[in-house]
Amino acid sequence: MVCGVREGEKIMHSSVIHSYTAWRNSSLASIVLLAALLWLAGGEVAQAARIGDLGEVSAWQQALRFFSFRDAGLRLVLVGCLLLGLNCGLLGGFVVVRRMALVGDTLSHAVLPGIALGFLWNMDKDPVAIMVGATVFGLFGVTVVGWITRTTLLKQDAALGLVLSSFYALGICLVTMIQRLPTGNKSGIDKFMFGQAAALGENDIILMLITTVVTLVVVVVCYRGLLVLSFDREFGQTTGLPMHALHHVVMLLTAFAIVVAMQAVGVVLVSSMLIIPAASAYLLTDRLHRLLIYAAVIGMGTAVLGAFFSFLGNNLPTGPFMVLAGTGVFVICFLFSPRYGWWTRLWRLRSRRLRTEREDTLKAMYRVLENREFHGEGVSAVDVAEYRKDTVEEIQRRVQNLVKTGLATDSEEGQMIHFTPKGYQQACMIVRNHRLWELYLTNVARYAADHVHEDAELVEHVLGEDTVRRLERRLKFPNKDPHGKPIPSVRDMLGMTHEEEGAKMEGGYGYRP
Amino acid sequence: MKEGELESVPALETHDLSVAYHKKPVLYGVDLTIPKGQLVGIVGPNGAGKSTLIKAVMGLLPLRSGWVEVFGQPFKKTKTRVGYVPQRESVDWDFPVNVMDVVMMGRYGKLGLFRRPKKKDRDIARECLDKVKMLPFANRQISNLSGGQQQRVFLARALAQESDLYLMDEPFAGVDAATEAAIIELLKELKERGKTILVVHHDLTTAREYFDSMVLLNMRVVAFGPTEQVFTVEQLQKTYGGRLTLLSDVAGETERQLSGE
Amino acid sequence: MNDFIPAFDWTRVVIDPWAAQFESSFWIVLMGFLATAACGLIGNYLILRRMALVGDAISHSVLPGLAVAFLFSGSLQIGAMFAGAIVAGVLTTLLIELIHTKSRVKTDAAIGITFCSLFAIGVILINVFAGKIHLDTECVLYGEISYVPLESSVKWLGGAIELGPRPVVTMALVFLAVIALIVVFYKELLVCSFDPTLAASLGFSPKVFHYGLMVVLSVVVVSAFESVGAILVIAMLILPGATAQLLSPRLPVVMVLSVLAAALSSLLGYHLGVWMRCSIAGAMVVAAAALFLLVWIFSPEQGLLQRWRRARRVDDGGESRIEENNGYSS
Repeated sequence: MVCGVREGEKIMHSSVIHSYTAWRNSSLASIVLLAALLWLAGGEVAQAARIGDLGEVSAWQQALRFFSFRDAGLRLVLVGCLLLGLNCGLLGGFVVVRRMALVGDTLSHAVLPGIALGFLWNMDKDPVAIMVGATVFGLFGVTVVGWITRTTLLKQDAALGLVLSSFYALGICLVTMIQRLPTGNKSGIDKFMFGQAAALGENDIILMLITTVVTLVVVVVCYRGLLVLSFDREFGQTTGLPMHALHHVVMLLTAFAIVVAMQAVGVVLVSSMLIIPAASAYLLTDRLHRLLIYAAVIGMGTAVLGAFFSFLGNNLPTGPFMVLAGTGVFVICFLFSPRYGWWTRLWRLRSRRLRTEREDTLKAMYRVLENREFHGEGVSAVDVAEYRKDTVEEIQRRVQNLVKTGLATDSEEGQMIHFTPKGYQQACMIVRNHRLWELYLTNVARYAADHVHEDAELVEHVLGEDTVRRLERRLKFPNKDPHGKPIPSVRDMLGMTHEEEGAKMEGGYGYRP
Repeated sequence: MKEGELESVPALETHDLSVAYHKKPVLYGVDLTIPKGQLVGIVGPNGAGKSTLIKAVMGLLPLRSGWVEVFGQPFKKTKTRVGYVPQRESVDWDFPVNVMDVVMMGRYGKLGLFRRPKKKDRDIARECLDKVKMLPFANRQISNLSGGQQQRVFLARALAQESDLYLMDEPFAGVDAATEAAIIELLKELKERGKTILVVHHDLTTAREYFDSMVLLNMRVVAFGPTEQVFTVEQLQKTYGGRLTLLSDVAGETERQLSGE
Repeated sequence: MNDFIPAFDWTRVVIDPWAAQFESSFWIVLMGFLATAACGLIGNYLILRRMALVGDAISHSVLPGLAVAFLFSGSLQIGAMFAGAIVAGVLTTLLIELIHTKSRVKTDAAIGITFCSLFAIGVILINVFAGKIHLDTECVLYGEISYVPLESSVKWLGGAIELGPRPVVTMALVFLAVIALIVVFYKELLVCSFDPTLAASLGFSPKVFHYGLMVVLSVVVVSAFESVGAILVIAMLILPGATAQLLSPRLPVVMVLSVLAAALSSLLGYHLGVWMRCSIAGAMVVAAAALFLLVWIFSPEQGLLQRWRRARRVDDGGESRIEENNGYSS
C-alpha cells in the first residue's frame, strides 16, 4: 500500500469473470494495433529531418505529410506518440479509478533528479541510463510519501506535495549544475521539461515499444487481479491474490510509462497523459475493461494531435499541446457523455420539465372534466387556467405543446381543448398516480392528510408502471383516494368507462384496444 | 430564555421537512414541534436520518421541501441560541490545537467577526471545562485525549456557546461509562435550567431512562411524545421493523430524476 | 566529477557573499525568506484543510493568469499581475469544483486535469507570444531569484528613500498583509479549518473563507512566482508548515516555527546554491527539504528516532501513550 489511497470504485461491481472474457476479446484489437505499429516502425528509417523544418508549407500539406507516414522522421514521432498514448492511457485507467491521480503527478515530478543523474552517467542522453535513474527516483519518491503518511500526522496530500516539490527542486539543482558543465551534450536535457516529440530517437522508440508491450501483456494476463486490486484491495488479499506484488508491478509500469513519455511530453505535464484520457473514458463507460480501451484510444489520439499541433507551430514544446488536445476531449466527454455529460443531464432535465408541464396540463383538463362529472365536450382554456391558477396565454402555450406531441387537439382558436385517446390515457395515468400516492402516504406511511398533496404533485410524474402495480397491491386495489375522489383504473385509461361522455367527444373515446 | 418571548413558542418546529443526500432521500415530510425545556431523544435505526435531521435544522443541508423554525424564527436569526455537538469523527483530532482552543471556539459565535476573545470568554470557557471535569487537561493537545475526553471537550464547547437549544449528535458513541454518566447528569442539569436538548441516540436500552420524550424516526416521524407513551413495543417495531421500501424507492427515484439522471 | 561538485571553499561560499556581494546576497536571501514565509503561513492552512494539492494546482495555474496580464498590460504592473493571478486562482477552484460536482470524476483527477490544462495554456501563451511576454520557460521552471537585485528599485518620496528591488518590496507587502489577515481572522480561519460544520452553525460561512483563502493564496503565489517558478512554490507552501507541524501541536507556535524554518532554509539554501553554483531557488527548497528531513528524524514527539525508541519500549512491555492516541485519531 503506497499511501492509503481509497481504492473502492463502484464501477467494477459486475462479475469479475464476465469482465475478463469481455476484456480478452477486446484486448485482441489492441494487439493487432500494436502489430501494425511495429510494422510501421520497422520500415526504412531515413535520416530524420526535424519536423517543422519545412517552413513555408500550408497547414493542409503539413497535415498530409504528418499523417501519411511518408516522412521517416515523422513516422518515428507518430509511432512514438501512439505508443505513449496507449501505454499512458492503459495505466492511467488504473490510476484514475484508484484515485491516485496525484500520486501519478508526484511520481512524474520525482523522476527529475533521476533524469539528471542518468544524464550524468556518461554525459549524454542515454535512454537506458536515464530510464533507470528516473524510475528509481520516481518509485523512491512514492515510497517516501508512504513513509511520511505512516510515521507522521501529515496527511497524504501534504506528503504528496512535499515529495513532489522537494524531489523536483533537487532535480532542478542537478540540472542547473549539469548545464554549467563545460563538457558533454547538454542540449537534450531541457527538452525533458516541456517535451519535444521531434527529439525522439530510434532508441527511445524501442524502449517505448518494450514498455508498452510489457504493460499490455501484464494488463491482459493479470486483468482479474488488477480489477480486484483497484476495486477492493483488502478483499483481494483475503482471496489470496498477490495484491502487494500487483500493486508494485502497476506502480513500476506507471513509472516506466511516465519515464518513456517524458521525452515527448515533458516532466511537468506528463502526469496529464495518465489522468486526462482515463478521466475522459471514466465519463463514458461503467466497465473497467472498456474504460481501459477508451482511455488507450483517447490517449493515442491526444498524443498524436498534440504532436501535430506542435509540429504546425514550428516545434513549440509538445507537452502543452498534448495536454490541450486531451483537455478538449475531456471537455467534450464532460459535456456530452451519453450518460454522465453535464449538458446531457441538463437536456434530460429540460425534457423532463416539459413532460411534467404537459402532464400537469393534461391533469388539469381531467380535473375540469371530472368536476363537471364528465359532462360536455372538450375543455375550455379558461377553465384550465382557472384550475391551475395560470394565465390563459400560458395555458394556450402549453396546449400548443400538447398538440405538437399528439396528446390533445384544439379548436376555436385555442379556446377549446380536446383529449386525443393517447392524451386521455396519460391524464388518467397521472391522476391515478397522484391519488395512489396520496393514499399510500396517508394509509401506509401515516402522513397527515395536509402533507400528501404537494408530494404527490412531484411523485406522480415519476412513478413507473412497476411501482404502480406494487402500490396497488400494497393498497389492495383501491378505487377511492383519501379525499374520496375515484382513482382512474385501467379501464378508464383505455377509455371504456364514462361511455356517455366518450361517445360525445369527437375523435376521442371511440378508441378501443 | 429571551425576554418578551412567549412561553408557548416552541423551541424547535419543523414542517414537512424533506432532505435528500447524495440523491437518496433521508427525511421525508418530517413534522415536529418540540416545546421548550425538554430533553428529547431521537431514536431510530441506522440510516434513519437522525443526524440529517439535526444538520437540516441548522441549515447545513439543502432542504428539498418544508421549513424549520427555532424559537419561532428561521434558524439564521436565532443561530446564536443554538449549540451544536457534532459527531466525534467529524473533525481531525490531529489538528494542532489544544483543549482550551477548542472550547473557546464555542465563544466565537457570540464574538462575531473581528472581535477577539476577552478574559470573560476565557473564564466562561474555563468554567465549562470544569463542568465536564476536563479543566486539568486544558492545555493538552487534542490528539492526546481518549474518546470519552474528546466527547467531553465537545460538550464543554457547546456549553460555552451558552445556548437555549442544544443539538447533539451521538454524544454517547464510544465513550466510557463514567463519561456517559457525567454527560447525562449534565444534560439533566441543563434541562433544569430551562434549556431544550435534542440528542441523537442509538442505544435503546438506555434511551428509556435518559429522556423524558422521544422522537422515533425512520425517514419519517413514526412517533413523538413522552417516553412512556412512545416507547412501546408496537411503536418500536414500526420504527425498526423494516423500512417502507416503497416510500424509499419512490423517493429515491424522484431524487434521481430531479437531479437529471 | 570535481567539475560537477565544486570544492567547498569557505571564502567563496560563506565570506564573499556577505562581503564582496553584500547587496545582492541580502536582497536574494530576503526575497527567499519573504516568499517562503508568506507561502509557509498560508500553506499551514492548506495542510490543515487537506488542500495541499489545491495549492499545487493554483501555483501551476497562475501562469496563464500572469501571461494574460502581461499581454494586456505590456509590462508587468503589480495590479495587472495580482488581477490575473486572482482570476486564475478562483477559476481553478471553480473548475475543480465544477468537474467533481457535475461529473463522476473524483477530486484528485479533477485537480490534475484543471491545473495541467491551465498550465499548458500558460506555457503555450508564453511560447507563442515570446516577444510580448517577458517570462521565459526557465523562469517558469525554477524562477530567477538571482536577478532580483538587478530589478529596478522602488523609491519613495521622490527618490529620497530607496526601499529596494520591486519584487522584494511587493513580496514584503504581501507578507505583511498575510500576517495581518491571519491575525485579524485567526479565530474564523481556525474554526473553519477545524470544524466547518460548527463554523457554519456559528454563522461564519466556510465557503467565504475558502474562497478568501484561495484569493490570498493566488496573490502570494504570484508574487513569488517570478523568483521561484511554478513548481518550487509548492515546496514553499508545504515544507515550512510540514516541518513546523512535526515540532509543535499548537497552531500559533506552528506559525512562528514555519517562519523560522523559512528564514533558515532561505539562508542555508542561498549558500548551498552559491557552493554548488546551481539554481538558488532550487537550492533553497533543497535546504528546506533537508530541514524537514532532520525534523522528521529528530522531532521530540513525532520523530522517527523517538518512534523507534518508543516502539522498542512497547516491545519491552511498556504501553505508549502516543501509539494509543494514534489509534483514536485514525
